[in-house]
Amino acid sequence: MTLQLQKLQKAYPSGFVAVKGINLDVEDGEFFTLLGPSGCGKTTTLRMIAGLETPSAGRIFIGGRDFTDTHPRNRDVAMVFQSYALYPHMTVRENLRLNLEIKRVPRADIEERVRSVARMLDIASLLDRKPGELSGGQRQRVALGRALIRRPNIFLMDEPLSNLDLKLRERTRTELKKLHETLRVTTIYVTHDQAEALVLSNRIGIMNGGDIIQVGTPQEIYDRPHNVFVAKFIGTPSVNLLNVSIQNLEGLLAIRLTGSEKPLSSILVPASDDVFRRLGPAETQLILGVRPEAIAVLTEAHADAVPAEVELVEPMGSVNHIVLRFGKDVETTADGEPLIAVVTSSELLQRGEKAWIRLRPERLVLFDKTSERALAILAGQRWEAT
Amino acid sequence: MTAQNAVSSISTGARDDPRAVGSRLSWSKLAAVFVVGLWLFPFYWIVLTSLKPIKEINNAVPIFIFSPTVENYQELFTKFDFARVLMNSLLITFVSCFVVIGLGVLAAYALARMRVPGEKHIALWILSQRFLPPIAVAIPFYIQWQDLNLLDTYVGLILIYVAFNLPFAIWMMRGFLADVPVALEEAALLDGLTRLQIILRIVVPVVMPGIAATAIFTFVFTWNEYLMALMLTAYRSVTVPVTIAKFVEPYTVLWGSLSAAVVIQVAPMLVVVFLLQRHIVRGMTLGAVK
Repeated sequence: MTLQLQKLQKAYPSGFVAVKGINLDVEDGEFFTLLGPSGCGKTTTLRMIAGLETPSAGRIFIGGRDFTDTHPRNRDVAMVFQSYALYPHMTVRENLRLNLEIKRVPRADIEERVRSVARMLDIASLLDRKPGELSGGQRQRVALGRALIRRPNIFLMDEPLSNLDLKLRERTRTELKKLHETLRVTTIYVTHDQAEALVLSNRIGIMNGGDIIQVGTPQEIYDRPHNVFVAKFIGTPSVNLLNVSIQNLEGLLAIRLTGSEKPLSSILVPASDDVFRRLGPAETQLILGVRPEAIAVLTEAHADAVPAEVELVEPMGSVNHIVLRFGKDVETTADGEPLIAVVTSSELLQRGEKAWIRLRPERLVLFDKTSERALAILAGQRWEAT
Repeated sequence: MTAQNAVSSISTGARDDPRAVGSRLSWSKLAAVFVVGLWLFPFYWIVLTSLKPIKEINNAVPIFIFSPTVENYQELFTKFDFARVLMNSLLITFVSCFVVIGLGVLAAYALARMRVPGEKHIALWILSQRFLPPIAVAIPFYIQWQDLNLLDTYVGLILIYVAFNLPFAIWMMRGFLADVPVALEEAALLDGLTRLQIILRIVVPVVMPGIAATAIFTFVFTWNEYLMALMLTAYRSVTVPVTIAKFVEPYTVLWGSLSAAVVIQVAPMLVVVFLLQRHIVRGMTLGAVK
C-alpha cells in the first residue's frame, strides 16, 4: 500500500506549528524512516497518518484513497507505540486477538494467526501471561505481534526500540529487518537514532523544525547531505566542519584552510565550470565537511599534511577516535567542535603527540557559509555541483 | 530479598528481622494494641450486648460472661418489622450506588478525556456541590418532594442519594481516569474499538481499583445516611439508621433491639468492603506502559 502526504500541516491553537506543510511519497512495501532530533515533528506526522491527530491542512492518501477525514478505527493501520500500550488486564493471547475479535474474524482463523505470529516472534510460551509479568523485550515483541497479526495496510512504529538496552536493541533491529524483508508491508518508522535509521530503512526522511530536509537512501544521505544539519546528524562520530577558502588553479579546485598559507594538495582534484560558478570567486569563504574516516593521521611531517596536536585518544575496539587540534595559525573548526579522525587501533598515537593531518579525497562536501546548504560534492575524482 | 533489604538487614542486624517481632515487646507496639483495642471495644461491647438477655443488659455491673441468646434479634424481626426496613436500605443503597457509579464513570471520563468547553469551570462547579451542608437543603427538599409526591418513596430517597454522592464520585473517578495512559486508548482506537467499547473493555477494567474505592465510599455514605432519610421517609421506605434511632424512646432505651440492629447494620458494610477490597490491587496498570 502506498502512502502519500500532501502539504500536511499541524498547527496548534497556541501558534506553534509542529509540522510545516510536508510532502512525502512512500512506495508499496517500503521501509521509510522519519529521522530527526526531539521535537522535529516526526511523531506528530506519524500520529496524523494514524488518525490520532487531525491535520490543520493537507491530505493523506493510503493506496491512492484519501483517508484524511477517516476515523482512525477505519484506516487499517497498525501502530507500535513507544510505550507499547499493551492492555494490562488481558493476557498476551487476548492482547493479540482483540482486533480480530472486533472485526469478527472467524475463530479458527484467529487461532491460526495467533499461533503463527507467536511462532514468528518466539512468544508462544508467553501467551497466557499478562503484560505485567513480561520483560521489556518480551513486551516489545508482543506489541509487534499485536500489529503484525492484523496484516494491515501500513505499519507505524514510534521509536519502538528506544527502551531496550543496547544488545537487545541491536538484536531486535536485525529481527525487524528480517521481518520486513519477509513480509514487505509498507512501514513508517520514527526514531532519533541514526544507526537504527541507517540499518533498517529503504529510504530516510530527515526532519527538523517541522520540515522534511532531505529524503534519500541511507547511503545517499550519508554521501550527499543537502546541508550542514543533515551532514552533522548522520554519521558517528560527527562530520568535521572546517573553515576554508577556494581558488581555481587551472581547472583544479584548490582548498585552503583559513589561517594556513598553502592549499591542501592531497585533495586537489578537478571541478567543472559549473562548480566554480556555484562556489563563487576566488577566496570565497566556505565550509568543508570532512568525514572522520577521510582524515589520515601521520606521525611525520609531509608536504601535503597540516601540523596538529593529538588532544585525546578514544579507543573503540577495532578503531580509535583521535581528537585533534590544529597548530596555532589555523582556525579551529567552523562549529567549534573538536576535529575527530577515525583510525585503525593498530596505529598507536598518544595524547600530546605532534601529528600531521592529511585529508583524503573521500565524501568531501562544500557548504555555503551563510545558508549552510551543500554546493558541491566530491564524487569519484571530481567535484560535482549539487 | 532485594538489594535494599539485604543492605538494611546487614546494617541494623536483628532489630529489623521480621521473625523477631513476636518475641520483643516495645512501647510502640503496646501503644498500637491499646489504641486499636480502644477503637474496637465499643463494637465488641455492642455485639456482646446484642447476645445478652435483657436482664443482664440492664445490670448495674457490666457482665462479660453470660449465656448468649438470640431473643434480641428475634424481637427485632417480629416486633419491629426489621426485615422490611433492611430490604429498604439494601435496595435504596444498592440502586443509588449503581446509578452513581454508572453516571459518575461516564461523566468523569468526559471530563478527563474529552475537550469539553469550560471543563475547568464545570469540574469546580461539580466539586462545589460538596461544599453544601445537606441540612441547609433538608427543608426545601421536603417541600419539593411533597409537591412531587416523592415523600416516603424509594425513588425519592434514591434521587437524593444520587444527587449528593455523584459530585464526589465524579471528582474521585476523574483523578483515577486521568492516570490511565492515553496510549492504551489510542491503541484500542487503532484496534477498531468504538469509544464505548474502549470505556467498557479497556478503561473500566484498568481503573477498577478506583471504581471499587469510589463504590465503597458511596455505599458507606448512603447506607449510614440519617438526616435526609429521617426527613423524607415515614414508614414505607424507612431505612435502618432511622429505625435504630427510634429505639431511643422518651423514657427508655431498648438496648437489646438497638444493639442487634446495629450489628445487622454494620454487617453488609463489612461484606461490601471485603468483597470490593479484592479489586484494589496494587500495580493494576503495571506492565501496560513502561
